[in-house]
Amino acid sequence: MLLPICILLKSARQKILSDLRFARGLMRLRVLLAALGLLAGLFTAITSQAQQDTTPDAALARLLAEARAAAAAPGGCSKPGIDRLVRILCDKQMRVSVRENYPLFGTREGATRKGYDVDVAQAIARRLAITIEFSRVTPANRIALLAEDRIDLTIATMGHNTQRDGQARFIRPHYYQSQTVLVGPRALAVTDWRDIAGRTICVTIGNGSNAQIVSHGARLMLFDDSGALPERLRDETCTLAAQDDSFFAFHFTDPAFALRQSEKFGFSQVPWGMAVARSGSDRLAAALDLISQIFHRDGVFLDIARTNRIATGFLEAQRDVWQRAACNTAKGNADAACVLPALDTALQATPFAASVTAFERWAEKHTGISLALPMFKTAPAWSLFKAGIVNSLILIAGALAATLGFALLLGAALGSRHRLLRWTTRALTVTMQSSPVVLTLVIGAAIAQTFFAYSSAVALCAAILALGLTNGSNAAQAIAEAMQTLRAERVPMPGNAGLFSAAVSRSATQIVSFLINATKGTPIASFIGAPELLSALTDITAFASGRATTYSLLLIYYLVVVAIVVHLCGKLRAYLEQRQATP
Amino acid sequence: MSLYAEHMVSVFLPHLFVGMVVNFKIAAIALVIGLALGAPLARARLGGRMASAVAAALIGLMRAAPTFVVMFFLFNIIARDATLFGYSIALSGVMTVALSLVPYAAAYVADNGVEALRHLRSGAPLAALLFLPNVTRSYFVLVMSSSAGAAIGVGEGIAVILREAERLPSPSDKFILFAIGIACFGIALQAGFALVNLVKRRLGHLVTRTGESVS
Repeated sequence: MLLPICILLKSARQKILSDLRFARGLMRLRVLLAALGLLAGLFTAITSQAQQDTTPDAALARLLAEARAAAAAPGGCSKPGIDRLVRILCDKQMRVSVRENYPLFGTREGATRKGYDVDVAQAIARRLAITIEFSRVTPANRIALLAEDRIDLTIATMGHNTQRDGQARFIRPHYYQSQTVLVGPRALAVTDWRDIAGRTICVTIGNGSNAQIVSHGARLMLFDDSGALPERLRDETCTLAAQDDSFFAFHFTDPAFALRQSEKFGFSQVPWGMAVARSGSDRLAAALDLISQIFHRDGVFLDIARTNRIATGFLEAQRDVWQRAACNTAKGNADAACVLPALDTALQATPFAASVTAFERWAEKHTGISLALPMFKTAPAWSLFKAGIVNSLILIAGALAATLGFALLLGAALGSRHRLLRWTTRALTVTMQSSPVVLTLVIGAAIAQTFFAYSSAVALCAAILALGLTNGSNAAQAIAEAMQTLRAERVPMPGNAGLFSAAVSRSATQIVSFLINATKGTPIASFIGAPELLSALTDITAFASGRATTYSLLLIYYLVVVAIVVHLCGKLRAYLEQRQATP
Repeated sequence: MSLYAEHMVSVFLPHLFVGMVVNFKIAAIALVIGLALGAPLARARLGGRMASAVAAALIGLMRAAPTFVVMFFLFNIIARDATLFGYSIALSGVMTVALSLVPYAAAYVADNGVEALRHLRSGAPLAALLFLPNVTRSYFVLVMSSSAGAAIGVGEGIAVILREAERLPSPSDKFILFAIGIACFGIALQAGFALVNLVKRRLGHLVTRTGESVS
């Protein structure tokens, strides 16, 4: 049996123990609450920091997380009109088009694709943790394939210009930059624009830099395909060729080519852009903008370029730009101080361009004939066209006058009784007859250039004199022969002037024939850079479309002009013959 | 012999002669096609009123066509990969130049063909034979005109001369080179014309001996 005191002691101890347990529980609760509070604080801090992280890496992570969440949501992948980024993440595959015949950038041997563009595509795929389905693309269809949703992304040596901005969404920063370089024999001293005036430069049709070359007085030899240029340089058909440095980079890896040819100078820098479709690709474009930015900053593009042995100057400069704190932000790719602008290639339209386009459509609709009249649509083309017409008329008038003048002058000298004068003139006419007209023009231009600096006016004058001499010397021979026959016939003439006048009348048919020949020969003046119509239209078609229409119109123009000259010359012949018949 | 003179003899001149062969080849192609087109046109010109009018219009059109423009027209219009019924119709540079000379050749053949046919019909076959030296003359004119091919990169004689000239720094050297070029073309041309004149003289003698009238 327990004593009452013992009972009291036991009760006090139990109370103490109970208080102790309560205090411990309270303590644990406080620790737990404190830990929870700490965790909550930490979570808030982390979340807040993540939300304030303005690096492109964080922005890309957020964008991808959102897209992955959209893809993982029920029915997220089958929703109509989903952004291409979500679709790519759903399929875990991206459709990328690259070139297959552009050495160092995009080539294909069997199933193996190689080149800078291909490696860039693969680096992007690794970053997005997806695979790639490659397809072939050409410069002609790379934008169309995007618009038709047959590809998600094109990485195909495509220059970013203002004209293309309306057709595709270009990824910025640009992943490469090329420039047009002038390539020619090492021994040829060409260092800047001053050295190319009057020279022929081989180019490809549609190359954006053609207009610039033309503006410096060079004449163009056009080729459809850039692949022909190195071969034409090798076989010396072309002395100089202009094309992207990225194109020539491969050919300079050939020691034989590099030994003979060198880059003269570069111009017309064009940033290259990867591109996605303009609609339905907002998230994809944003993700690629950020990836491109990160690749520049981290030297990924640079490493890929070095692997593919292409020029790295632009990429090194871009790495420095994107490592700058001001550019290394999520909004850096939209900052004009960090990204390069698109090349402004938009040509000013003529006031009547819309009417010309309407006429082209009308002609196609009603006649089925697809007309293209680039000479009327843009201000530079219209200006070249007008100048070409005026210059060709000046050239024709000049060639006619020079032919007639030389014919009379040399004819008189050939028919002269002074032996020295006669034989000297005979030597000149035989020389002129023996020289092909192209060579005569070149010699004329070379003589002119020894006295005057090259200009369009000098080329025109040289052409007029060369055409006049060539045709005039032949007509002169006819006059001299007519004089001989008149002397042989012993027709009474009132002095030498009368004899000469009768000889001119007698040789009217020959003179007229060489006048017509001179008119027909005027387009050859374009060979020495005279800015006549053929030259102007060749320049226009070098940077615009519509070659078929342009050259058809040119042919019609010259046929009409020659027909008019034939008509006028017929009147001249009738007058001369009538004069001869009049006693 | 200086190094340059040696280069001229051993490298340049052989290249020039190879280039000139291209000129002769172009002229031959143009003349053959010109004969094929010009002969029926000449016959049509002396045929019925309708046929004569059509032929006259065609001959006039071909006579008016500037060779250089026709060459650029063909060069730029016919695509390098053009096909017709599965066959490639793309023109080589040589064929482009040759075809551009065809309008001139055909018109010339037609004009002289009309003359020859008139002589034949008037009972002067020897005078009609003058057609041959006249056609030979046109062949040499075509050889000279084929130099236009240099503008579209055809490796004919003038292109060879111009390529060589690009290498020469001094204008005087260039002018010597041009003189050599003129001499080479001149010898060929003058020899051709001398041949034509010889044939014409022989025919003239024959005409005189047989009493034919050449009007």
